Amino acid sequence: MLPNIDLRIANMIKALEQVVLPALPRDQRLARDQAMLVAGHLRMMGEQWKSALRYEQVALDDLQGLARQLLPAASALLADDLKAALAMAQACDRASVTAIERANIDLGHAVDAVILGGTDHAPLPPASIDALLDYALRHARRERSWFKANRLDPDQNDLPDLETMLADAD
Amino acid sequence: MAIDMSEIIDAPPIDRIDIWNRDDMEPRIREILDRTVRDRVKGPYAAKTDSEVIAMLERYFARTEGLEAIGISDVARMAGGASKEQFAFTLRHKGDGVGERLVLRMDPLEAISQTCRGREAQVHVAFAGILPVASVRSVDADGEIMGQPAIILGFVNGVTEPSEGTGHGVSGIGTRYDDWAAKLAPQFIDALAQVHRFDWRSADLSYYAAPEAGTRQAAIWQVNWWSQVWWDGVVQPVAMVTYAERWLREHAPICDAPVMCHSDLRLGNFMFEEPSGKFTAVLDWELAHIGDFHEDIAWAIQRLFGTWTDDGTFLVCGLIARDEFLRAYEAASGNRIDPVKLRYYEVLNAYKCAVIDLGQAMRAATQSNNHQDIILTWLGSAGAVFLEQLVMLIREA
Repeated sequence: MLPNIDLRIANMIKALEQVVLPALPRDQRLARDQAMLVAGHLRMMGEQWKSALRYEQVALDDLQGLARQLLPAASALLADDLKAALAMAQACDRASVTAIERANIDLGHAVDAVILGGTDHAPLPPASIDALLDYALRHARRERSWFKANRLDPDQNDLPDLETMLADAD
Repeated sequence: MAIDMSEIIDAPPIDRIDIWNRDDMEPRIREILDRTVRDRVKGPYAAKTDSEVIAMLERYFARTEGLEAIGISDVARMAGGASKEQFAFTLRHKGDGVGERLVLRMDPLEAISQTCRGREAQVHVAFAGILPVASVRSVDADGEIMGQPAIILGFVNGVTEPSEGTGHGVSGIGTRYDDWAAKLAPQFIDALAQVHRFDWRSADLSYYAAPEAGTRQAAIWQVNWWSQVWWDGVVQPVAMVTYAERWLREHAPICDAPVMCHSDLRLGNFMFEEPSGKFTAVLDWELAHIGDFHEDIAWAIQRLFGTWTDDGTFLVCGLIARDEFLRAYEAASGNRIDPVKLRYYEVLNAYKCAVIDLGQAMRAATQSNNHQDIILTWLGSAGAVFLEQLVMLIREA
């Protein structure tokens, strides 16, 4: 494709930073703040877009791993729902970000139901809690690395870049 | 090492509180959350223009106060905050040609936190004369006249970050106070102590309810509030958010003596004058409620609201080292900090922030129901910081 996505994103950032922002009056703080955030989002998306499909695949694979670890201790009814969501996740179109996102949401709801333990809030066994916290740490680190360019993370300097993070996930 | 929850589940009841009763919540909070869901479909919401604001204010003052020859001028949108639409303006009318400088603070259709302007007005009035707070000129708690819930406050001069400071950020996050810290820290600690010492039983706080002392209700009300926000708006499930809710229910501590909590007293939420450094206003009372004082302390010491000195010392709210802060607070308030309860409320606050960033902010932005959706998605991209905190805090608890 010509012009490609990287070039168009770079053009948009340049237009915002060199033309639009300087033209905005200093007292128009909302407009200035939002224009700067548009540039910030675009810069982040420029770094992310080529890895977005891979990122979603890694996220779904990790959630499936958690679901399998929770399965043995889940009640029969919750286990059936979880198995069905797992089957849907395994069958989803892995070339489509939208399809993977949908599978992630559906499987996430089934995992949530197990975490809450159904209507009687059955206790979660220690092994399930350990698996859950291990998964949650991987998930949080992945998301923090994905969005580290927002510079809001107090420990951003400890996070890997996107390529390293995805390579580690493999 | 994870805790065996079966031991806790089988333990004898601590009090009469049902930790899984999701309906056990302050009545006004319930109304606000229900209104949020009901009104959500009315979007999208667009930022108000100056001319729209002028028309709204002229209509409002004519109807509520019967003012004549109303003139609204010098309308200026105010920066800061990630929640409400705020405009400074001057009101003139037949009886006042000089004019009064005021601030309109009104709810967009949906914000990063859904709160009550009536509660905000009551707590401002209650603390007048105790702490520097903006005066309340008028309130339309349910937007019956203004068209959307709003509060009109007296204008306060001051800054939320040093004019010549070295660090600035969204909603004050990342602000560095540098040499100003020595002047600001004692006032910050005193403000927290004053809030917690406040005699809420003697004040007109009819929009509020108090949890029962000597029970877990203070904690459970908060868990019910924020978990309801999560489940009403969840865009994508997050396993850690769900587990944190469960953990918070199962570990809820008893609150012996409920106090007024500001609930968002941190960097960016106080104003001061330059060069004296004297506080001119404690801001953003919208999350105030009656609860456990540990909640405010745990809120203030969050990593996201702090900064680091060049030698690596963490400063609570960019002002003071953590241990020094805790000691100074105890001395100023007379309260003794229970480390177990403090840890619980650190978990609760991390949960609350995760719900706000990954739940309510994402829902409002998805529905296009805010005047600054882009700030909501920007803040949402920091939500995972709180997820990792939840893991660490729960593992250490």
